[in-house]
Amino acid sequence: MSAVDTTLAPHLDNSRSARVKGMLESPVASIAIALAVVIAVGLAWLGGSYLSASNISIIGSFAAVPIIVGTCSGLALMSGVVDLSIGSMVGFSATAFAELTSDGWNAWETAAICLLLSLVCGLINALAIVTFGADPIAATLGMLTVLRGLSTVLNGNTGAIASLVSGFYDFLNQRIGPFPILFVLAMLGVLVATLVATKTRLGRHIRAAGGDERAARRAGISVTRIRYGTLMLSALGAGAGGILYIGQLGGSSNLLGTGLEFQIYAALMIGGYSILRGGVGNPAGGVMGLLVVAGVGNMLDVKSINPYYVNVIVGVLLVAAVLLDRLRGGDAYE
Amino acid sequence: MKPTLRPRRFMRTALTGAIAGLTLLAAAACSSGSTVSSSNGKQNQKFKVCMATGGAGLDWMKGQGDVARVLAKRRGWDYVELSNNNDAATANKNADVFIQDKCKAVIEFNGQPSVNPVLAKKFAAAKIPVITYDIGQKGWYFLGIDNKKAGEAGGAALGRIAKQKWNCNVDLVVSSEAAAAGVVNQQRTGGMRQGVKSVCPNIPASKYVSFEGNGLLSSAQPAARALLAAHTSAKRILVVGINDSGVVGALQAAEQLNRASQVIGWGQDGSLISGSNVNPHLAGSVFYFLEGYPVYAFSKILDKIAAGSPPAVGDDTHNNPTVLLPPCPVTRGQAAKIPAMPQRIKKLLAAPNGTTEDSLFCPNHS
Amino acid sequence: MTGATLSTPHLNTEPPRSRGRRELPEGAGNAALVFGAWLLLVLATTITRPDFISHQTLLSVTFTMSVTGVLALAQALVAISGGILDLSIPTALILPSWLAVTLAALGWSSWLVVLITVTTGAAWGALNASIIVWGKLNPIIVTLGTNFAGLAVMLLVFQSAQTPLHSGLSHFGRGYFLGLPNIFWPMLLLLALVGFLMRQTRYGRRAVAVGGSPTAAKSRGISLRKTRFAIFGSAGALAGAAAVLFTGSNANFTPNDGTNYLLSVIAAVILAGISLSGGRGHLWMILPSVGFLSTVPVSLVFFGLNDNWQTVMQGAILIIAVAIDGLRQKRLAR
Repeated sequence: MSAVDTTLAPHLDNSRSARVKGMLESPVASIAIALAVVIAVGLAWLGGSYLSASNISIIGSFAAVPIIVGTCSGLALMSGVVDLSIGSMVGFSATAFAELTSDGWNAWETAAICLLLSLVCGLINALAIVTFGADPIAATLGMLTVLRGLSTVLNGNTGAIASLVSGFYDFLNQRIGPFPILFVLAMLGVLVATLVATKTRLGRHIRAAGGDERAARRAGISVTRIRYGTLMLSALGAGAGGILYIGQLGGSSNLLGTGLEFQIYAALMIGGYSILRGGVGNPAGGVMGLLVVAGVGNMLDVKSINPYYVNVIVGVLLVAAVLLDRLRGGDAYE
Repeated sequence: MKPTLRPRRFMRTALTGAIAGLTLLAAAACSSGSTVSSSNGKQNQKFKVCMATGGAGLDWMKGQGDVARVLAKRRGWDYVELSNNNDAATANKNADVFIQDKCKAVIEFNGQPSVNPVLAKKFAAAKIPVITYDIGQKGWYFLGIDNKKAGEAGGAALGRIAKQKWNCNVDLVVSSEAAAAGVVNQQRTGGMRQGVKSVCPNIPASKYVSFEGNGLLSSAQPAARALLAAHTSAKRILVVGINDSGVVGALQAAEQLNRASQVIGWGQDGSLISGSNVNPHLAGSVFYFLEGYPVYAFSKILDKIAAGSPPAVGDDTHNNPTVLLPPCPVTRGQAAKIPAMPQRIKKLLAAPNGTTEDSLFCPNHS
Repeated sequence: MTGATLSTPHLNTEPPRSRGRRELPEGAGNAALVFGAWLLLVLATTITRPDFISHQTLLSVTFTMSVTGVLALAQALVAISGGILDLSIPTALILPSWLAVTLAALGWSSWLVVLITVTTGAAWGALNASIIVWGKLNPIIVTLGTNFAGLAVMLLVFQSAQTPLHSGLSHFGRGYFLGLPNIFWPMLLLLALVGFLMRQTRYGRRAVAVGGSPTAAKSRGISLRKTRFAIFGSAGALAGAAAVLFTGSNANFTPNDGTNYLLSVIAAVILAGISLSGGRGHLWMILPSVGFLSTVPVSLVFFGLNDNWQTVMQGAILIIAVAIDGLRQKRLAR
């Protein structure tokens, strides 16, 4: 028998202990504990240097763009649509940004153009999926292919465009304490997204649209508008990620962003999202999922262990996280 | 349902954490690379060489790392290896890790060189010298082949066959490209076309066609099939490309379309030109003996850096490289005498210090 | 399955048998779309380049169809029985392939090699099934995880493998039968066989019923557990068969080659009108679907499009195709 979607009917007992218990058993708690375990293992294995300012900065720099992209596409997951084109969107936006700035265009104007292009792509996705009813996986797969092809065209014969925008680069590499500004920006974004998702009416509507589409419509929520919005946001986040990559890396290539979507969705699912079930997940959980993967990867980097082991671990963690979700009462697949 | 589940839920939360922790400890037990401990002052006195390999799935990349590891060990140095995973963001992160790790010298094989200027900035600020394999970067010791020359050598060899067999009456010159390889593709595959042109200058430009094969045989094959099907009137076809896999993919495509007798190919990197499975239409390839690069890196550059007198930086591929390696074009017949990579590595490591693979294995040079 | 599936947000899970107004058999609309698109493509290409119609083109397309067709069949099997998607197809292809060429190089008899290859594929499928069944976890996530881990392990085991030139495998892969590639016929045979089994045998109909509504199937006494094992095992076996065709026709391969098939296989299944929610679709539609998708790249070359623009066009065609298909399904559902 399919389980009742418990996310729409939270605990009705409002006493403090019940609320605390509810918090501890929530999906966010699970991933928070997993993150704590990762940190503990890191400290045990690498010593105090695991949490040194320098190491935190390394983890933060690497995870920042995936966090930004993942937070936005996580909201799309919450509304019930999966956007597989985010990796290519990052690559295409980065390429466009690099192309124009290397030609001398103003960085701010170029950024605006790239973000606009991203919104257009998101709009196309939404048109195909929401209005026409295309299968989201297939439609965003098509968009993935289109954008990858366009990136390759733009990157030209050498397959790369160099564009080091020095003001941009210096700004992103500054640090606040141990945290690079890029990482701080990403976390601010997560904060905003979490607040919207959990505390606002919009957030409740997004959840409802993803959790039970028909019930949401009956309740007067415009699922169409919400999905248009989240798909465009997902593309926008990816576009922003691409621009930030150029700031960070000083150039684009036709491979940039390849495979990013699978990495991000695996991490988001470890963090409590579902690519099949809308209405579940929390940006805070999502970012913790991404940090768990980044934290594990960093351990293997510092110990210079073959990076393929990271993928094995991610695979195991993914299954473990979903198992946990299932045990917690999530839909059992039979 | 809920009351009895609550304590069990908490235990299951711990279950995830436990699984995560155990997996990590298992990975720790499997650790094979040398370790980093920047808090241990003693480590800083050993000369530490750090290498960032190109990425996934090519055996010579693994070979490069393996040889370097042995050479470092013989000198009593520390050796740390990470993979750039053919991704610019990863290469950037690896650079950060190396700097944190206080490497004394870094070897980079970065297939995504658009990020190299940023890496150069970082390494320069940390005063870490960098050796770059095959892909030039200002300020870094360039060690490698001239991809353009390697291409030209192979293309010229193929051109000579075309001249002898067909008197340069070639209907089609097919290039198996790999845009993802960026400038290496441009130089190598473009170089091959130049080489063909240098021997057979009268082949019109319209006869030069390309397809995107990604440097993988299974991707090159269908793309080449489509291209060949669109040129049914071509009866004398030359095939060049970024590597042996890309070229053989096109040769196989021709076989599949019953046009085997119409094609001749020349490869790059030598991966499919020796052994018992060589495609009958692959006339030759160009070896670079990539796995042997570390010999040059260690004996010509790193030894000097470690001794305190670093050599002058030659960072330009053409005019002023630090070490420019000769490509080794070989015909099939010649390639038959060249052992496969694992055997080459064994022989190399058994030879006296400083012996190069080129001197050991290249029939045209030794 | 809950109604809130991300793959087809507008479909319901009621048995799709209400013939009511529509007299045409189910799936006729989709068939018309795919055949129509294919015909249109061929016509357009022939008008531009009359030499498109040739034995060369036929060979080119049929070679491409062979491996993709069998993999798409495996994927469709999973989809139609409610398994949504098997994202571990890359590993399911590469693992048996590696084993096949390793054993062939050791001189083992070809028939034994084929048997072992197919069995290995089945074993991989069974592995996935056991995690899905034991954990009651969603197949998409399980297979995403196992693929992550599986490919990473494959990369640790080998970087590139060659098919022995003088093996039976290679001879078969390079031969012809009735003017078409040898490897095309097993694909055709398997398609016909599995299509027949699904429609005409009890077991097949049970699997489809499980896909349509697991709860209804369970109440009829169908063992969901056994069905899952049978389906994933069979899909794995089919991937093993694809591995035989793959190694036979490719002189060498790397672990990453499998990933290149994943996207086109998913596109083929969706285009064939096989709903990812399960229970609907005709397996034989895979033939025109794969045929159309295999013809597109060839046509684009005849049109004279640069490689990268080909990629863009392929993506665009996919988006348009599934958008039109989505619209058609929406109209049907009203």
